[in-house]
Amino acid sequence: MLSAVGRFVLRWYSVPLVLAVWEILARTGIISKRLMPSLVEIAAATWAALLAGDLQFHAGISLGRAFTGYALAIVFGVLLGVAMARWRLFDALFEPIFSFGYPVPKIALYPVFIFIFGLGSLSKVMLIFLECLYPITVNAFYGMRQVDRAHVWAARNMGATERQIFWRVLLPGAAPSIFAGLRIALPIALIVVIITEMIGESRGLGYYITYASASFEYAMAFAGVAAVAAIGFTLDRALVWARNRIIFWERGAAFIGAA
Amino acid sequence: MSAAAYSRGTRAALGLVLPLAALAAWEIRARLGDAPSYLVAPSAILATVWEMIASGELWKHTGDSVFRALAGYGIGGACGIAMGLLAGIARPVERFYDPIVSLTYPVPKIVVLPILIAWLGSGDGSKIAVITAAVFYPTFINALYGAKGVNKLYVWSARNMGAGAFTVFRKVILPAALPQVLTGLRIGLALAFIVMVAAEMANSRTGLGHLIIAAEDSMRFDLMYAAILAIAVIGFAGDRLLVAARRRVLAGQTLGKEGAHA
Repeated sequence: MLSAVGRFVLRWYSVPLVLAVWEILARTGIISKRLMPSLVEIAAATWAALLAGDLQFHAGISLGRAFTGYALAIVFGVLLGVAMARWRLFDALFEPIFSFGYPVPKIALYPVFIFIFGLGSLSKVMLIFLECLYPITVNAFYGMRQVDRAHVWAARNMGATERQIFWRVLLPGAAPSIFAGLRIALPIALIVVIITEMIGESRGLGYYITYASASFEYAMAFAGVAAVAAIGFTLDRALVWARNRIIFWERGAAFIGAA
Repeated sequence: MSAAAYSRGTRAALGLVLPLAALAAWEIRARLGDAPSYLVAPSAILATVWEMIASGELWKHTGDSVFRALAGYGIGGACGIAMGLLAGIARPVERFYDPIVSLTYPVPKIVVLPILIAWLGSGDGSKIAVITAAVFYPTFINALYGAKGVNKLYVWSARNMGAGAFTVFRKVILPAALPQVLTGLRIGLALAFIVMVAAEMANSRTGLGHLIIAAEDSMRFDLMYAAILAIAVIGFAGDRLLVAARRRVLAGQTLGKEGAHA
């Protein structure tokens, strides 16, 4: 039997291993020190940026944009998905837009969005909204459609009203699929906010990283990357945590990929 | 719930209502001249597309973009599937990858683009590298879960009937994991195109993403829409090709389909 410590080491050993390889590569200068700063330098740069408040400032701006677009996409996406699942007119009107538009990279529309919504935050928020809308709507739609008919019949048989069936049977039945859509959309929101800030902006983490690496401050650039990584990881975990609280009857949010 | 479904024809007609209405409103406003200059009439865009196809300009940028996307997709997908399948059958490999992948999975891979540009230059290399990284994750995770999800009974039966480790892998695990491997490839393709466009928009001298930004800068909005249209067509066609290939590859196979989604 393995001790708790042994199991912990066995579970996580590869992370320090990779970091150690990085440190060795950086210290020995196999890869130029300027291009690949050591972890100590990156940590120092991160700490300095945190003390100066730079990282918090840019992260706050990026997060604000990502959240606004994401929240809008949740509201409209779930409503639209539910409407498409319930009323065939909505289904017939919108289904082609979603099935044809799904594989198209909407990010290409960013310059058009700049003209319509301006150079500031609004064009970024709208692009995040558009990109996130697709997975959220499609998953809400399929979730509603996949609800077991027997459950609906059983509820109806026991005298449930249409409203009760919707809130107590259909929506809980669709919830796992809706959350799968939210989990697909979350990294998309982050991708889009970072990309749009890299292309044309003077604030936000995407700009911070581009600016730092364009001025050859690679430790600073990695500090920005570390900030984005921490944000992405924390948000994903928070979403899984919320999902397991809300959908307590179906444990274990696996990786996405399927659904 | 709705009663009888619409007939196919009615559905198709209804599906065209919103796109056609939007296009017609766009065309009419542009013709009347009361639309802002960035809303070029759809007919003018089509004329530009035609001109660019004839002059070969569109092919050149499209070729550059598709080359980058496919190179990254090929490398990332091959590594992801090979490592994912290996991790699915060998615990030590899975133990190695699991913490790294679960820590870095939710991180948008595009963040390292500026650093990759510093390392590899602003040519094809940095773009292919970032696409490779983006494609690796979904293909790895789906191959891993596909190989892990194989019904143990099949493996035991095959082994019981005298199949060696290699035969079990080739005849049982590979076909059973295939549907999910293909799901990963489909997600990866969509990501490859998104990252391709993003990387080209951020920093490039050729390609469709670059064409969009360059056209916007020089106020050639018809060019900009032509490039956007080309990107949409590539993204859509790539996805449809993959779906058709999936149908052919999986034709008649029931193994492994229980757990996989389309």
